Amino acid sequence: MSRKFLSRRTMLRGAAGGAMVSLALPPLEAMLGTHGAWADGTDDQPIFGVFFWANGLPWHAAHGADQAAAGHPDLWTPAQTGPGYTPTELLLPLAAHEVSLVTGLQPHTDIPSVPGGQGDGHMRGFMVALTSDRPRSEGFDHPSHTLTARRPSLDQYIAKHDEFYGNDVPRFRSLVMGVSEARFHDYGHWNAISYNGPDSLNQPVQDPAQLYNLLFDVPADTASLERRVSLLDTVMEDANDLRARLGAADRIRLDEHLAHMDEIQRRLELSVTACDDPGAPGSSEDLIVKTELMADLLARGLLCGLSRVFSFMLTSPATTHVFSNLGVPDGMHKTCHDGVWQRVRDITEYQMQAFARLLDIMQETVDPTGVSLLDRMLVMGTSEYGEGWIHGAAEHPMVFAGRACGAINPGVHERIDGGNISTAHVTMLRALGIDTPSYGFNGGETSEHLSGILA
Amino acid sequence: MNEQARRPRWSPKWALIALMGATVGCYGGHSERGDGNGGGEESGDGASTGDTGETDGDPLVFDPAAAVLPRLTSTQYRNSVTQLLGPGLPAVMLEPDTNPYLFFNVGASTTTLSELGTQQYEEAADALSHLVFDDAERRLALVGCEPSAPGDQCVQGFLADFGRQAYRRPLTADEMARWQAITVELADPDAWEGVRLAVAGMLQSPYFIYRVELGEPDPDDPELLRYTAFEMASRLSFLMWNTSPDDMLLDAAADGVLDTADGLREHAERMLADPRASVAIQEFFAQYFDLSRLDGVTRDVDAYPMFAPSLPQSMRNEVKLLVDDFVFRRDADIRGIYGTHSTFVNEELAMLYGVDAPGASPIAFVPVELPEDGPRNGLLTLGAFLTMNAHETETSPTLRGKYVRERVLCQEVQPPPDDADTELDTDASEAVTLRERLEQHRDDPACSGCHGFIDPPGFLFENFDSLGSHRTEYPGGHDIDASGSLDGVALANATELGPLLADDARVGKCVVTQLYRHAQGRLETEDEADILTDLDDRFESEGYRFKSLLMQLVTHEGFRTLARPQEGA
Repeated sequence: MSRKFLSRRTMLRGAAGGAMVSLALPPLEAMLGTHGAWADGTDDQPIFGVFFWANGLPWHAAHGADQAAAGHPDLWTPAQTGPGYTPTELLLPLAAHEVSLVTGLQPHTDIPSVPGGQGDGHMRGFMVALTSDRPRSEGFDHPSHTLTARRPSLDQYIAKHDEFYGNDVPRFRSLVMGVSEARFHDYGHWNAISYNGPDSLNQPVQDPAQLYNLLFDVPADTASLERRVSLLDTVMEDANDLRARLGAADRIRLDEHLAHMDEIQRRLELSVTACDDPGAPGSSEDLIVKTELMADLLARGLLCGLSRVFSFMLTSPATTHVFSNLGVPDGMHKTCHDGVWQRVRDITEYQMQAFARLLDIMQETVDPTGVSLLDRMLVMGTSEYGEGWIHGAAEHPMVFAGRACGAINPGVHERIDGGNISTAHVTMLRALGIDTPSYGFNGGETSEHLSGILA
Repeated sequence: MNEQARRPRWSPKWALIALMGATVGCYGGHSERGDGNGGGEESGDGASTGDTGETDGDPLVFDPAAAVLPRLTSTQYRNSVTQLLGPGLPAVMLEPDTNPYLFFNVGASTTTLSELGTQQYEEAADALSHLVFDDAERRLALVGCEPSAPGDQCVQGFLADFGRQAYRRPLTADEMARWQAITVELADPDAWEGVRLAVAGMLQSPYFIYRVELGEPDPDDPELLRYTAFEMASRLSFLMWNTSPDDMLLDAAADGVLDTADGLREHAERMLADPRASVAIQEFFAQYFDLSRLDGVTRDVDAYPMFAPSLPQSMRNEVKLLVDDFVFRRDADIRGIYGTHSTFVNEELAMLYGVDAPGASPIAFVPVELPEDGPRNGLLTLGAFLTMNAHETETSPTLRGKYVRERVLCQEVQPPPDDADTELDTDASEAVTLRERLEQHRDDPACSGCHGFIDPPGFLFENFDSLGSHRTEYPGGHDIDASGSLDGVALANATELGPLLADDARVGKCVVTQLYRHAQGRLETEDEADILTDLDDRFESEGYRFKSLLMQLVTHEGFRTLARPQEGA
């Protein structure tokens, strides 16, 4: 990276011959875009979201020989493929929203043999589901499993892609949220599913009050906002002095920090965009109630154009969350390892109910022209591997919720035995109008999409 | 560098231990050499593998590593801001710290700040500066004079003082001019607003947010780099007090006092006597012992009637008091913490341990001597270790043994193989106890290497349940066998392990390694092996007293010098 950082304000000030220019766009202009995928000519812009739940699905025969020997039924995969499939027990909570899904997928990425452990289901599965790439090898030589991504997760790839936002970048490129605070390691990488790149993670906002402040607490004093914007120019000058003295790795870290400052500066300029205040949220330790609290705020923010990309982590990878509300005495990770199938089934059903609540709220949130957020939305619902008992990689769950402005066919089940997870990513990117000849890395590359699901 | 100039030190002791070093079933050495770690249970041929023993007969060479750029941890940010703006500031939201390799300081030097974290710095700087400058008395107390015009002498004097504290060194002329310009250009509606914004700006500057310690050519040998005196002030201060240097340290840096080991020692001693040192050292031990894992602990009170939501915090406090006893009150061999009958209990811990503790209450801890012939002896037989290394409904000899290997002895346990079948046959009719179930690992060659390394010390704690209560039988009524072993030495139970660890050279070496990682904010490099060997040597010769190790570290060449940055990424 040899980019010299100039803030947008600095550049435009230069362009305007030194005169101060105000860049804040009027709210209406900021919201109206030029995209448009609906056949009827309305020009709504698509929204992309990730919904993540921990520990995959209850195991069944298709997960492998050992799992088959355990003799439990498949409660996930619909019997029929194509449109109009009959929802299974675990898909039933999502049935009202006619989600599409693909079954049979698994990671196709390489597994370097040194250091050992890189095939571990939790780490490989969730990295591939989120980044289309294997996890970084660094860190596997240590018990802390200092797990890091090699590249951005799909939400960040989209949020920073020119073909997604173009020139209409909203106040937040993306919003990153989480619900359960239980963590497998007390270490951020295990408690975040949104990455910008190696060792650069977006830790989720997990407190509804914090999310509320982030989205809706906008200062009334716009003159002071302008001074804050100017001040950032000077902070960046300081930083530019420093960057020349740093080694390569730290220069990259500082450059990212600088790019964020640029983004914050732009955000301050857009802070005049006021949304209706939905009121301060309550709080709850119940995962479904907390999902509702956060999804309500998210929906209100999305409706008034604060962002079009989000990541929503219900539970973190390998979660130790104790679902005592379901009568489960141990953390979920241990419950999976102990092979307590019925409890894993109950927890998974509960996680699907939480997913459904998020989708309900997106469906109920409708703009003045009658288009719901869910109509505009594509939510990738996924987990970290096929199942958690033996960390089986086969049958990785992958749900497509929402219509993406008509780009996703509803209620379709596609099945590809042993198929590549990246085909789901290619499908999503193409549905969002991002030109994607192929996607996937280190063995995961593919140019294929899911032809039954992509409209 | 003058008085401690790269003198070679001979260390035949390490060569001996290296010869005792091990074959490896599971243990994977990280980046050290001359390493005396024991190997798997199966070993015993004493064969040395790898590149151990290189220090045999060779002088030690202190090769430093390149600088890192740690971002302030959230505690360091809060402490530093309090130092700059005064006490009584409101809490601000900041990016959560991460602790790869156990330490926040390591996370601080490896992770990249997120966009939300950047926004939080901006908002915190704005909010905190408003809080001070919206209060006429408070701003006057901070600035020390009333500006009569934007950017006047009063303002300039303040900028120089405040800037030196915020940047932990004097501002350059360019920086002075930069902030001076802010105080003039943004003085709307008055001069105070310009000063406020300069303060808010400096609090967002990378020179405040990061610890910029890039070194200068060493006057004794310009090919080499040493930390500047101001950088040494920072390094000392963040290690000893977990905050930015105070005026005395910055003055000492300006006067050249911190260019010498004597000067560093003098200030380190001053700082160690301050209560802030105790807080900072407790923070180190809390991270080293991984005590934050107690935070989310819950137990079903039907199965564990002793459990109360306050209990995990009481367990943390007990460890804190023990650390304080060993480090500050008695200044004793720190390894002794693993083999002692002394501890500190409040009411609920006294009940958990079944001891009389006159004077103990829910909040008052009192020192107690646990019975010599009782089941407890040392830190690993107390609530914190036993609870955080157990599951909700049953113990985990594997987690407990892993902690002994990784945390106490600094050995590394390899992750399970990718194709490991982690399922233990819960239905096997003969396997009625957890021990019998785990012993199935022994029969599977894919598992036996690691589990033979981890489980034998882990079994020693089986007579403590998931909450650390003593027990003699499993819930189903089967007798507990708490025998096990450590590196081939058979032990009846955990009371026999404590005294062994309290006298084990590996435990001391582990403390050195962990402190070094915490202090440097990174893993040690292979080239630094001799620095660690030397520190351990000194630690041992001074009776493994932790404060003496700190003094050795801050005056050590390995802490005062650095290598040139790596180019190309």
